[in-house]
Amino acid sequence: MKDGKWITMGIESSCDETSVAILQEGRTVLSNVISSQIKVHQVFGGVVPEIASRHHLDNINGVLKQALEEAQVTLKDVDVIGVTYGPGLVGALLIGLATAKGIAFAMKKPLVGVHHIQGHISANYIEHADLEPPFLALVVSGGHTHIVDVRGYNEYEVLGRTRDDAAGEAFDKVARVLGLGYPGGPKIDKIAKEGNPQAVEFKRVYLGKGSLDFSFSGIKTGVLNYLNAEKQRGREINPADVAASFQQAVMEVIVNKAILAAKTHDKKKIVLAGGVAANSRLREMLSYECKREGIDLYAPSPILCTDNAAMIACAAYYKYQEGLLDDLTLDAYPNLPL
Amino acid sequence: MNLLAIETTGAKASVAIIDENKQIWEEHCDETLNHLRLLMPMIERLLRKCKLKIEDIDGIAVSEGPGSFTGIRIGISTAKALAQALNLDIVCVPTLKTFAYSVPEEKRILCPIFDARRSQVYAGAYVWKNSETCMQLVADGAYVLDDFLEQIKLVMKETSSMELLFFGDGILPYKNKIEEWTNHQNGIDFGLTVSFAPEELCFQKASSVAALGYELWEKGNAQNLFQIKPVYLRQAEAQRKLEEAEAKRRTVHE
Repeated sequence: MKDGKWITMGIESSCDETSVAILQEGRTVLSNVISSQIKVHQVFGGVVPEIASRHHLDNINGVLKQALEEAQVTLKDVDVIGVTYGPGLVGALLIGLATAKGIAFAMKKPLVGVHHIQGHISANYIEHADLEPPFLALVVSGGHTHIVDVRGYNEYEVLGRTRDDAAGEAFDKVARVLGLGYPGGPKIDKIAKEGNPQAVEFKRVYLGKGSLDFSFSGIKTGVLNYLNAEKQRGREINPADVAASFQQAVMEVIVNKAILAAKTHDKKKIVLAGGVAANSRLREMLSYECKREGIDLYAPSPILCTDNAAMIACAAYYKYQEGLLDDLTLDAYPNLPL
Repeated sequence: MNLLAIETTGAKASVAIIDENKQIWEEHCDETLNHLRLLMPMIERLLRKCKLKIEDIDGIAVSEGPGSFTGIRIGISTAKALAQALNLDIVCVPTLKTFAYSVPEEKRILCPIFDARRSQVYAGAYVWKNSETCMQLVADGAYVLDDFLEQIKLVMKETSSMELLFFGDGILPYKNKIEEWTNHQNGIDFGLTVSFAPEELCFQKASSVAALGYELWEKGNAQNLFQIKPVYLRQAEAQRKLEEAEAKRRTVHE
């Protein structure tokens, strides 16, 4: 407690961002320090788990120190510690977990394990002071593509999920074959603005009428086949057109399924979350469709879309309020289901 | 002075406390490779056993590696978190040396070897001088066994010791090779004896980390938590491949 207000600390290290945040009363960010390893992994064309783990270990204590200093609180002021315990890279997760457990034990503070996706959804509580469940959440990131029925702060039902690649994964792979580099999401988003989204017709995969599941492994192959075919015919390709058409195909499916889910589950609010939620085309299309259907759309600002600890602290606050605590045996779960 | 020692670099994790009378208490777990889940509860149990509170701890000794990369990281991140919360310093303890340190005898050259896979061992060689100092003879490193044995041969000439004691989980896959090498040497130059430590001396132990850690602490080797680094003795595989490819490109260019 500081000045009569609850203080929550969040720790996130599930992939390639080391982050620690301090929140006041669950929704006000006092600090949200993010140390990104994007540059480290760029030369490898993707995140290398062993290298990510090494960097988390080197960085986490400095990030934690900075988060406390920026928030002008001490560890004594912290009421609860939230930490991502899955899903993610196991070697990366355990750095955050070991750190959270060490601090919690030494300072005698309650510990809360947070599901990474619940964290992404909770980013919206920080952004929108008035937002409360129930709503429909669309989580799109490098590791996840989920449509979730959020009934309460800690009550979730997954309505649809990807059966193979996550949307962000497809973006990374297509960016690689187009020679755009890593990470693929922002690169494709940028170059697609110069391209024609109708230039190439990539197949939209809906997996049958009414299905809320996704499949994105086919479209990556579709792009590869198209590039090879054009090359064989000796035709020059326009990367901007390919990127824009690929992006259009992916986003159309995502947006249509999200709207379908909202209608069939009688939801008047859609909440966007995850790294790909920063994609400008997705926001544009979803906001257009939501307006047409009379649905309110909520999305976090870009900094809260990436992996960050503020969202983990926020989710931990609401778990703590309901007494959902963990003990010091808390483990890492790389494939933790929601 | 109570020093808390953490050992998570091997298959089994353990923790220990050593006090100013050099009395050591230890807690260990027989469950293998579940260090993240087991470590904090083990520290809790150890403190209860010693009737101490975490605030009674004055410093932390951590086994720095080599060993399992994941295990090293669990120990070091836990040590750093405790140090950050409690405002303590940390002393990093070389894991290979803890083996030699637990056998204070001057006769033999002490050779801890860990199976590092990829046809290598993490190994080093030590000898006790005047039953006071445990001296390093061959630097800790990731070696192909034959290269390590060549190094041993060189230092044997300097130390005039002809007896070797091997420890560690590297014995299991390499015992036969070491014996073959011994016989071959004796074919040329008689008098070399090689022995293998009993199983109880072949695993990492927090009590050894505590004992060596205490000595290092007294010698002023404690560090601020922001200075300490794990000792992997090996690059990440992807990094190694990248550098190999770059080296190849450079030679092609030349």
